[in-house]
Parts: sequence; C-alpha cells; structure tokens
Amino acid sequence: MENRIKYLFLSLALVLVPTPGVAESLQPMIEPDVSPVPVDEALIDTEDFEIGIFAGVLSIEDFESSLLYGARLSYHLSETLFFELDAGFAEGGQTSFEKLAGNVQVLSDSEREYSYYSINLGYNVLPGEAFFSENYAFNTNFYLIGGAGATEFAGDTRFTINVGAGYQILLTDSVAIHLGLRQHYFRMDALGAEKTSINTEVSTALSVFF
Amino acid sequence: MIGLHIVRILVVIFGLLPASLMAGGFWNSGDTTDLRVRIVEPYIEVRTGPAPGYPVVHASEKGEWLTILKRRTRWIQVRDDRGREGWVSVAAIAKTEDPTGATVDLKVRNFDEFARRDFEAGLLMGEFDGAPVTSVYGGYSMTRNLAAELWASHVLGSASEIRMVNANLVHQPFPEWRFSPFFTLGIGHLWVDPKVTLAQPEERDNSVGHAGLGIRAYITDRYFIRAELKEYKIFTTRKTNEEATEWKIGLSIFF
Repeated sequence: MENRIKYLFLSLALVLVPTPGVAESLQPMIEPDVSPVPVDEALIDTEDFEIGIFAGVLSIEDFESSLLYGARLSYHLSETLFFELDAGFAEGGQTSFEKLAGNVQVLSDSEREYSYYSINLGYNVLPGEAFFSENYAFNTNFYLIGGAGATEFAGDTRFTINVGAGYQILLTDSVAIHLGLRQHYFRMDALGAEKTSINTEVSTALSVFF
Repeated sequence: MIGLHIVRILVVIFGLLPASLMAGGFWNSGDTTDLRVRIVEPYIEVRTGPAPGYPVVHASEKGEWLTILKRRTRWIQVRDDRGREGWVSVAAIAKTEDPTGATVDLKVRNFDEFARRDFEAGLLMGEFDGAPVTSVYGGYSMTRNLAAELWASHVLGSASEIRMVNANLVHQPFPEWRFSPFFTLGIGHLWVDPKVTLAQPEERDNSVGHAGLGIRAYITDRYFIRAELKEYKIFTTRKTNEEATEWKIGLSIFF
C-alpha cells in the first residue's frame, strides 16, 4: 500500500516537474552499476547437510556404563526423511564376575575399547515448535531412527542394528541440539555362549547445517 | 579398523555429492549478490519452518520482491522488503520472476528428472554369502543407458570380516520405465580379516569379478529404491576360485 502511494506521488511529480535531461537525450543520467541477477538454482545456498558431535552415556551389557562420544553426518532428503552416518566411541568396564573374583581379567584393555559406526534412516514424525518464555519459539522435530552398521568390542567386529528416537531443537535456522535415545543390538560370544548384547545409548548432540 | 572404514565412507559420500555442495557453496557469506524474485501469482504463503505443517505467518502479495536466503530440501527461506523472514515452498518460488523478468528456473524433482539424472548415491543392505553386508555407492550416468559406479562394502560374517571395494558398469535398457531393470559387470578387491577367536587366522586379500542384475524403482522427489543380486568370483592363488552370491536392497538419491 505504502509502495503504491509513493508510486502515485512520484508519477505525479514526474509529469508536473519539468526534467531538462530527458528532452536532450534518452540516455539515463546515472548508469545503474548493478545489472539484474537472474536467479539460478546453482546460486542458492543449499543447506541439506547437518554435521554434529554428540556425547552421552552408553550402557554396555555386562560391562557397566561408559561415557560415549562421537560424530554424525546427516543428509536431509526431504522435510521428513534423512540419512545419518554415526561413529561413536566408549569403553567397557568390569563385569560383575571380575569384581567378585578379584584378580581376573575377561578382556584386555584394548579389547574393552568400544567403537561403532552405523548408517541410519531417520523419519521426522512430529515436526513442531517449542516455546521458551514469551519471546522465543524454536522449530523442533521428534524423529524415529534406525539402521545398521558394525560394532568393534571384545576383540570382535559384529554386525549391529540400532533403533531409537530423538528430539531436535533448532536454536537458529542452522544450529540444532538433539536429545536421543537408542538401542544397539549385536551378537557377542566373549562371555561363553553367543548371545544378543543390548546396549542403551542416551546422548545429546550439537549440530550445524551446511 | 572401523575408523578406516568410516573415513572411506565419508570420502565416498563427500566425493559423490558435489552437486549439492557446489550449489550455493560451502561457506557462502554476505559477499554474494542478493537473489531477488518478484511474486507473479496473487499471493505466496510464508511459513515459520521448512515443512508443510508449520503455520503460515503471513502472505506476500503479487508484485512484492522477496530475497532468497537459503534452501533446505523442498523449502526456501526468504526475506521480504519489510525484513520479515520465513519459509516458502520451492514450487511457489518456481512460479515467481527474477529481475530479468524470466520465470525462476527451479527444478521440481519428478520422474522426468529421474530419467535424466547425472549422479546417484545410496545405501544398501543385504547378505553376502550368508553374512550381513552394508554398502554405500555413488554412480555417474554417462548416457541414459550406461553408468559407472564405485562401491564400498563391509561384510560381517561369523568367521571373518570382509571389506570390499568395487567398480562396475551398469547398463539400463529401459531408462524411461518407472521400474527399470539393469545389468551390471565389474571388478573389485576384498580384504578378509578372520576372527581372532579362530585358530590359525590367515589374513588375505583377493581380487574379485562380479556380474549381476537388479532394479531401480522411482518413488518420489529424488529418491528411488534399488535392489540387486550379484554373483562374485573370488580369484584365489589356490587351484579353484571361490564364488559368492550377494543380494542387497536400499534407498538411493539422485542429482
């Protein structure tokens, strides 16, 4: 509306006020120094990747709980689906048997190092907004995630399946924090008979879109 | 060992998704010229977030100019001349005009785009000789029928761990089909790492040759499902070569 009033006012001014320059030549008095920029898809900054670091607690079956840390890279296919590549590191503690028996070591120190990678597909089930005080609103996503990869622990590398859920809070349009809960399943035979080891991860991540 | 594998996967992913990174650049700061579009339709809805569920906070009218800030999946963040920011669908921006008066050239991904793709990348899982396998790949389409691909796979068997890289050619006789079959032929190399619990572990690496067939099924936007069956010949130094059958299924994206 404001633009239209300006437009009317200026058009009127153009008609009423004599402009000497126009009569002499049709060249514009001032050459514009910016040429119009055609909009091309390649010029638009696309932020479909998200890179982040995470830390939390991993409860390793039979081997206590441990600090967990790692990194992840996500690629957002659409507003609902994303691929995620994760790598995490933790360290197994002592089994109850080792504690009770005293001077017994089931695993060597290097075998207690726990590392995994997983390739996952995430699904944003509940996109939404969260409100902090009267002044701030953050976009959020509650997502389900699952995938497969490998875990190296107890001198063995095993195929691992993981499933979980997470809550993403976008602090700005490019920076997010995640709260996550995941379950990692793999077969292991370090304590005799082969069994499924179920390990629970609770973690917090900080990520940036690029 | 896993660390190496992760590095390899990252290299593959970063190496094969250059189109997306080049679009707009990695560290695109304020020195670029503003991209501006003018609304031609009666109005455009502006939302608080990049998904259809976010509330519409305002509408911009026909004739107004919007500055494009960035894109995330199928959404574009814009700022109007009053400084208000919000997210607009790519489909809506594709109906606006740029300062030269031309309609903005934004691709809305559909099946035609899929048939004309240049790059594809994906993640597949399945079984290799009875053991679980996880693979990532990237491919470049040289023609509509012929593509070259690079693969990295990790096989986790009960007796050994295998890491494998492969290069192959893919021939697709019917690129215009929504469910399009293909044939593949390639070579590669694998590294076998036996489990430490076994007596007399023997580390080895072998060259492999493989042939297979599979299908690509376009879903929507830029995703498709890919499934394939490959027959591997593992060239050993012994008298007989080994054979392995592999099947995999997974999700791919194209650019």
